Amino acid sequence: MTHWPEQLVSSREAEFDTVDMTINIGPQHPATHGVFRMVLRVDGELVTDCEPYIGYLHRGLEKLTENHDYRQAMGWWDRTDYLAGLCCEGAYCMAVEKLAGMQVPERAEYIRVIMMELSRISSHFMFLGAFGADVGSFGTSFAYAWRERERIYDLFEEVAGDRMFPTYFRPGGITMELPENFEARCRQLLGQIRQGIEDLDGLLTGNEIFIERCCNLSPLDTERAIALGITGPILRATGLAWDIRKAEPYSIYDRLTFDIPVGRQGDIFDRFFVRLSEMYQSCRIIEQCLADMPKKGLILDPKLPKTLRIDKKECYVRNEGTKGEYGVYALARGGTKPYRMKLRSPSFCNLSALREMVVGNYVADAVLILGSLDIVLGEVDK
Amino acid sequence: MTQDSPAKSQLPAAGLADEIAKALPGIPVQAVETTTDLDLTVEVANLKPFVQGLRDRLAFDLLRNIVGIDFEADGMALKYQFYSFKDNRALQLTVTTGSGHPHVPSLVDLYPAADWHEREAAEMLGFVFDGHPNLKNLLLEEDLHIHPLLKEHPLQVGEVFQGIESGPVGFPS
Amino acid sequence: MSFGNAFFGYSWIDAIIRVVIVIGVMTVTVVYLTYGERKFVARFQQRLGPTRTGPIGLWQGFADALKLLTKEDIRPTNADRWVFEFAPYATFIPVLMVLIVLPFARDWGVRNLSLGMLYVFAVLGLNIVGIMMAGLGAGNKFALLGGVRAAAQMISYEIPLVLSLLAVAMIAGTLDLDKIALLQAHRPFILLQPLAFLIFATAMLSELHRAPFDIPVAESEIVGGFVVEFSGIRWSMFQLTEYASMWGFSIFGSVIFFGGWAFPKGLDWGWGWQLALTFIKSGAFILAIMWVRTTVPRLRIDQLMSFCWKVLLPLSLVQLLVNGFVLEYGWPQEVLSLTSLAGAAFLIAVIFRRAVRRPSKTKLVGAYRQAQVPE
Repeated sequence: MTHWPEQLVSSREAEFDTVDMTINIGPQHPATHGVFRMVLRVDGELVTDCEPYIGYLHRGLEKLTENHDYRQAMGWWDRTDYLAGLCCEGAYCMAVEKLAGMQVPERAEYIRVIMMELSRISSHFMFLGAFGADVGSFGTSFAYAWRERERIYDLFEEVAGDRMFPTYFRPGGITMELPENFEARCRQLLGQIRQGIEDLDGLLTGNEIFIERCCNLSPLDTERAIALGITGPILRATGLAWDIRKAEPYSIYDRLTFDIPVGRQGDIFDRFFVRLSEMYQSCRIIEQCLADMPKKGLILDPKLPKTLRIDKKECYVRNEGTKGEYGVYALARGGTKPYRMKLRSPSFCNLSALREMVVGNYVADAVLILGSLDIVLGEVDK
Repeated sequence: MTQDSPAKSQLPAAGLADEIAKALPGIPVQAVETTTDLDLTVEVANLKPFVQGLRDRLAFDLLRNIVGIDFEADGMALKYQFYSFKDNRALQLTVTTGSGHPHVPSLVDLYPAADWHEREAAEMLGFVFDGHPNLKNLLLEEDLHIHPLLKEHPLQVGEVFQGIESGPVGFPS
Repeated sequence: MSFGNAFFGYSWIDAIIRVVIVIGVMTVTVVYLTYGERKFVARFQQRLGPTRTGPIGLWQGFADALKLLTKEDIRPTNADRWVFEFAPYATFIPVLMVLIVLPFARDWGVRNLSLGMLYVFAVLGLNIVGIMMAGLGAGNKFALLGGVRAAAQMISYEIPLVLSLLAVAMIAGTLDLDKIALLQAHRPFILLQPLAFLIFATAMLSELHRAPFDIPVAESEIVGGFVVEFSGIRWSMFQLTEYASMWGFSIFGSVIFFGGWAFPKGLDWGWGWQLALTFIKSGAFILAIMWVRTTVPRLRIDQLMSFCWKVLLPLSLVQLLVNGFVLEYGWPQEVLSLTSLAGAAFLIAVIFRRAVRRPSKTKLVGAYRQAQVPE
């Protein structure tokens, strides 16, 4: 056996040392659902560290809101969760109404709930489509999901004039009355939506490869999720049946009956399935609203002032946004402009838990985990 | 859901102030009711023990939100929003500090959720959280050391040049 | 005339002319396969696909080819120059070499080799070298990841591919593709060896790195994998390789398992019918491949590898063993069918076991239940 000189042996061993590779899943990437960057340190295929970088879509929401009238600022707020703009409008209007002490007429509340639930369905369709694309179903799930979203947007356009950001809500009520054929149109849409959900369910849920990829990946237990500040479908997937619409009801949700789907171990499959089930519950809510809605009524508080001046008031309203708890903290100190308004965005809080979820999994799974968090960068970056 | 459940329609929890006074004696608080929550003001020095008491003895396990506010001449304030799953009630905590770069103890070791909220408050308003492991800029670029949400920071300085800058970008601080 | 004999004059002129014809057919086929895939996939996704270029978009493939040819040739400075430039060709040439032995009809092919089957899978293995060159030479971490994944995947799946084909070769007693087709004039080998067919189909999808095995080019994760730095002509070479090998594998598979040009009644009805049979069978294969791609998500690399080594490889070895026993002891051919069918059923059961055991639907909570702080 040859005896290698000492230096050669140690340098040979040094050659075999591996160094972790740094991969940048950069702001432009089909998998990151928007401008989001994460830097992964990988050892082969295993992720050893993950650092998320956000702020690419920071638009200065809070600063702008502080310098504009209460009713002007709404135009920016519905662009935070841009997939479900009407839910954001609802939260903002609730905040201003609490500050100003406005009462929203009943019919307006019902219409608001219908619009918010339709937005929720639209956002969850987006999730289903994008998640299917992440898993590799190459755009088929995407195309199915977008067909239904187009239908919902068509309805929004008929009702409010704009597809995504109609600025339909207003502090004190809603802007304009519904068109006459709304109920028939809405029922037709609900039928199509149910069919669409079933199609996507059939495409993805029973698929062996989908289950193989998603089950038991990144399980989360409830205690840890609460400590991390996670709310929404991810928290429900861990097994806790908590929904702000039931726990801290706002608007007319306390009159509606619906279930809260929960998961069992908080893994990716559970998160996916919870969102899928929530869509059926939203359909139920919309049907109840259509049935219970007062056929005639005011849609706007009749005592709205021309200039809205609010003295020292403070509130923190939260509503169940599509991704979790969408909270608006509002502070008024006289004048026509809010003194401070902060957005507690669910995606921001859910995303802060990314590192913990991703480390220890494979690169391919890192992308799936990010997809299952269902973030929307408008909210994350404000 | 019982009819008199305190968080129904997002109103301040009844009886919470007394319960807290009983459970956490020795820490002076001032209780006010906002439109939606009970608001307690504590001193900066008492913040951490108070929050620990809230978490351990009163089951406030969700830290929802941290808001930083600049009151110009009256200093700055931080508002913390807590929620208890067990009792279904919410709570707001206020901490008032001076202006400039006030030091506040970080709650990251008690609530990991505080991590990004504190980073955001730090970069937007200039708070310094002692004990935070990674107080880098979150939403702004890493090398941009401005605090945009301070009232003295202007909304916009003249026209914004939409081209290629020859020097560093940013508002004069 | 058997396609070993010269038809166009001297044997070397004949060879050249045949090769040129095959290349021409391949080019047009590949162009229309790209178009066909886009239309087919689009229909699955409830949209139309190309409709503008020419009637119903028929010139789309040529338009794409023209665009790619006129693109700027970008080479990253980090890339290893000669490896980067040669990689597309290194990937494509083996595929072209495979097309030489494939029989399209009785006398239609370039050259019939008596070692036809062996030649095919030996040469296809060279594909892997080209892909590794692409991955390593591009100077990009995503390409590196893609190249490494591709290498692992393709090398692993070669083994069940070869073993399953060997099982068929054992029954046929020959490696000569022409003779294999002739032997199936009355009964295709899929009836005798369904398990070998399933293993071949799965391994073929993996060699082609198409879904569900398209990890090397996982578009949503590593944005193109090993082809990410190639653009213009170089990228079109990779696409050419993919579709040409898809076509080549389809013809190969149809010859080995479905009787190629010979079944049914290929010998009786002349070369037109034989060509039509080849076309129909390979077309069905290609459609199946595209269908699977559109519908099914992709596997992760470790799941894929474990499927190969723990499921496909043992099954193909068992298949070989059983075949050996049957042929040695002269048992009737029906035994082959039955054992292979049992093996195929087992394989399908293994694949579906996950679906059977899938977690029951998440429970819907009837009434709101007071949120509990977990102990």
